[in-house]
Amino acid sequence: MIEYSIKIKRAVRPFFRDRWVWQMALRDGKKNFGRLFLFVASLITGIAAVVAISSLNYSMQHELDRNAKELLGADLVIRSTRAFDSVVLKKLDTAQRVFARQAEMPSMVMFMNTRQSRLVKLTALQGEFPFYGAIVTQPGNAQTLMKSGRFAMLDEALARQYHISSEDSIKIGNTFFQVAGVVEKFPGGGALTATLAPAVYISMDALDSTRLIQYGSRVNYNLFIKTQSDSDTEAALKTIKPWRDEFGLGADTVEERKRELGEGFGSVYRFFSLLAFIALILGCIGVASSVHIYAREKRDEVAVLRCIGSSGWQAFNIYFIQIAVLGIAGSLAGAAVGVAIQQVVPIVFANYLPVELQFGISWRAAGEGIFLGALVSVLFSILPLVAVRFVPPLSVLRADFLAGRVFSKTRITAIVLILLFPVLAAAYQTKSMVIGVLFAVGLVVALLCLALVAALLLWLVRKYFPVNSRFTFRHALSNLFRPNNQTQVLLVSIGLGAFIVATLNIIQSSLLNQVEFKGNSNQSNTILFDIQPPQREGVLNLLTKYNLHANQVVPIITCRISELKGKPTDQYKRTDADSVRIPNWALTREYRVTYRDSLHSSEKLTKGNLQSYKKGARDSVQVTISEGMHETLKVGVGDSLVFDVQGVPVKAFISGIRKVDWPKDPPNFIFVFPTGVLNDAPQIWVVATKVDEPQQAILFQQELVFDYPNVSLIDLRLILSTVNELFSKVGLVIRFLAMFSIVTGLLVLAGAVLNSKFARMKENVLLRTLGARTRQITIITLIEYGYVGIFSALTGIFLAFASGWLLTKFFFEVEFAIDAIELWLISAGVVTLTVAIGWYNSREVIATPPLQVLRKES
Amino acid sequence: MPETVLQAEGLSKIYHSAERQLVVLDHVSFEVQQGTTSAIIGPSGSGKTTLLGLCAGLDIASRGTVSLMGFKLNAMNEDDRAYLRNQYIGFVFQNFQLLPTLTALENVMVPLELRGERQVGAKAKELLARVGLADRLNHYPSQLSGGEQQRVAIARAFINSPRILFADEPTGNLDDENAQQVTDLLFEMNRQENTTLVLVTHNLELAEKTQRILRMKGGKLIGG
Repeated sequence: MIEYSIKIKRAVRPFFRDRWVWQMALRDGKKNFGRLFLFVASLITGIAAVVAISSLNYSMQHELDRNAKELLGADLVIRSTRAFDSVVLKKLDTAQRVFARQAEMPSMVMFMNTRQSRLVKLTALQGEFPFYGAIVTQPGNAQTLMKSGRFAMLDEALARQYHISSEDSIKIGNTFFQVAGVVEKFPGGGALTATLAPAVYISMDALDSTRLIQYGSRVNYNLFIKTQSDSDTEAALKTIKPWRDEFGLGADTVEERKRELGEGFGSVYRFFSLLAFIALILGCIGVASSVHIYAREKRDEVAVLRCIGSSGWQAFNIYFIQIAVLGIAGSLAGAAVGVAIQQVVPIVFANYLPVELQFGISWRAAGEGIFLGALVSVLFSILPLVAVRFVPPLSVLRADFLAGRVFSKTRITAIVLILLFPVLAAAYQTKSMVIGVLFAVGLVVALLCLALVAALLLWLVRKYFPVNSRFTFRHALSNLFRPNNQTQVLLVSIGLGAFIVATLNIIQSSLLNQVEFKGNSNQSNTILFDIQPPQREGVLNLLTKYNLHANQVVPIITCRISELKGKPTDQYKRTDADSVRIPNWALTREYRVTYRDSLHSSEKLTKGNLQSYKKGARDSVQVTISEGMHETLKVGVGDSLVFDVQGVPVKAFISGIRKVDWPKDPPNFIFVFPTGVLNDAPQIWVVATKVDEPQQAILFQQELVFDYPNVSLIDLRLILSTVNELFSKVGLVIRFLAMFSIVTGLLVLAGAVLNSKFARMKENVLLRTLGARTRQITIITLIEYGYVGIFSALTGIFLAFASGWLLTKFFFEVEFAIDAIELWLISAGVVTLTVAIGWYNSREVIATPPLQVLRKES
Repeated sequence: MPETVLQAEGLSKIYHSAERQLVVLDHVSFEVQQGTTSAIIGPSGSGKTTLLGLCAGLDIASRGTVSLMGFKLNAMNEDDRAYLRNQYIGFVFQNFQLLPTLTALENVMVPLELRGERQVGAKAKELLARVGLADRLNHYPSQLSGGEQQRVAIARAFINSPRILFADEPTGNLDDENAQQVTDLLFEMNRQENTTLVLVTHNLELAEKTQRILRMKGGKLIGG
């Protein structure tokens, strides 16, 4: 025998120059691209969600930049809670600056067409506001008309709600106004603002005629300034600086407004982008799952290739090229779908965005989406594909031959990168590493919890298997435990979608439950405020006339804190180290306090006690403070405060801390004084009552507005319906994004169904051979997917209970509540979708005649 | 003197399980000369397929050595052995093992393309014509009968002009008529190409067509 050298000289061709690998990828792919449809679909769904949200963000940022000045309507706005002092106005007045004024206050308005009334934000305007952008009205001359006299404009939604047209009139305070038109767009406003606080606009001159401004009226004054330049804006800001504290002035610049809106939208964007990101992660699971199954199916072919001389890397590269090409194609398609969705967003959510979005493509978002998709497809397919490298050629001879575990650097690297991916991608999405890490940890915990619940459910089913149930139910259940059925993966992926929707629902139910009024309770649902002392008896008589009981008749005194624990508040603001911890707003705000010697039904004393006022002892006034605020102000029982009550200093000590259930039976207060201290101070009164009948409410309001036009009425039921409406709208967006997750979960299901197709075909053939009819096989299939749907819904909802409870207890701090009917509906939806997808993909399996399968087998 | 292309010395294959070890092949030694035909026969579980796998470099022996054209297989890694198979070895399997996503022609071209060779279509077509499938070039395996698939596999096995051809029950999945056709073709092409043929079979009639029969029982070579 000739002795050859032991070492064989093997030519290794680089990946890009290995023609055979590319050729094989194409040849094999031609027959297989269809089988990777689910891989592509998972990718498209995930990328579409991310691109849609990211594209919306970029468009929004672009529009915020473009329309920055229109958001404010001026270069500078100076705000005050009292009328501007002439000294300030004189200082600001230069020849180059143009001014406009605005006064805003809550007020009742009566619509004379129906004589219905409601609380609105009354906005009085003076001057050529806005300097940038425009108040869009219908008809176009409404603003000019409004300025000319006793004319009013209404927010469009308000006018629609009360069927107001230009011929109608409304009564504000003591004055009747003819409706000049409706406001479609107001600088910096939006439908969301209009929903929460609908506005009525009148001229500043007309405001005086209403006689609404009295003692205790809460009026916000705005001075809009058009400056010559940015440096002029800076100069104006400097001018008011010395008076800021003295006159309680605030200021808003274009940059600040842009930043505030940007931040506000940024928070919403971060939340939505995380929801989209969940869809992407599910897409990744879909990608990994489809590639795993694809690689497993390719095992035999790889073994043949290995037999005829392909290296492990060459075999890997064939499928890697296919996945990468399809990944790029899927990413392109996903980005296109995302961009298309983004085009619809401005139409659907136009009213809830601070600026009007233009139609356009965000190439940056699309580019990022394509990159992300390509990355995901490569990263999440490497791990399952690496197995191809280690397919032993011997499995050609022995199909059941299993190679031992092989250490692979590629596998370890892929695992590390996959673990890092959610952290880095979430950090990039939210532009915050902390949020990224927290989100990734949260997601992993959520997935682990879902997997745990799913495993527990399956374990319970196995342990308490209904051996005596009917054959179809029993057989369908045992199908869940078919080898390679991926039942647990399915429960996790479909369950995740159900989890998001159910958690949202639980939070919504809990929050609404908090503000809902129980029919049989005597809790107040109507609050009358701004009642002047001489009007008090009259208003109470009016209540009696309508058989309404005054649950609370409460005096309110406005004051500020001037000293805290023996030190002027100014010192805390400027020098004290505590300033870091005591927020400025808590030191400078106006407090509305009351006096009484007992606890209200919504209160509980948690520390200290209630102490009555000892007549004459002005230096031993004992007040109670609400829990939470004592932490904000860093005060405890025994600490002293000095209140500035309309210029009169009142020294007080904290005698107790009250836990206040704020939404229960309002009004509730931060500070409560003992009776006797503030009785003679300037005050207004608030009356709380409960109105049950809508008709009774209308008539009462009519008479109240006519007799006491300055008295405002808050209908808490109206707030409830507003909150509900708001939730429905925000919920719509969240559900829309959660749908991406559900769709991706269902794609994973479809993948699993298709991939277990042949195993199920064989089972069905056996059943047919033993005499099963098509109907029975169909029923078994439907029941099997029914089980998958039920267990997925249970998995998601169980976890939603836990997360909902945690969120309501620790984040929203409200009572945990569920709406059982809605949760049933969510479960039913998940089950229906699962059964539909399962059945749709099983039609071939159900319909295949036994002989065909036997032929395939042979 | 004919050249030795395959030399097995003290080959053993042992599988370890938790409690015991299973000796599938026990100290098997033999040589195969260039251009000869050999059959490995024996009852099920006697170790003949394991022996074929070891000889073809599809698996590694627990003990002993295999030299194929002088290359010590035990000293090579899997990718080197794959390269060796591509250069010198052909395979025919009982269940044909064609790549289902490739046409008959593409299946036959694969081994040469793997080498990086171009313009291999003509040679593949010629081989397919020789096995009587000139009109089935673009058919996929699922569109071919069992006999036709095995003929494609034979064409594929010969396209790289192997020095040695391993066949595992090449007629095991075929009816008598097809089995006869495939057998004739295999031996005829083997003769024409001067290839060394080593086949594993239960079929004594097929085994008797070879020049030498190696009998296996209980993992041991008991004759030949």
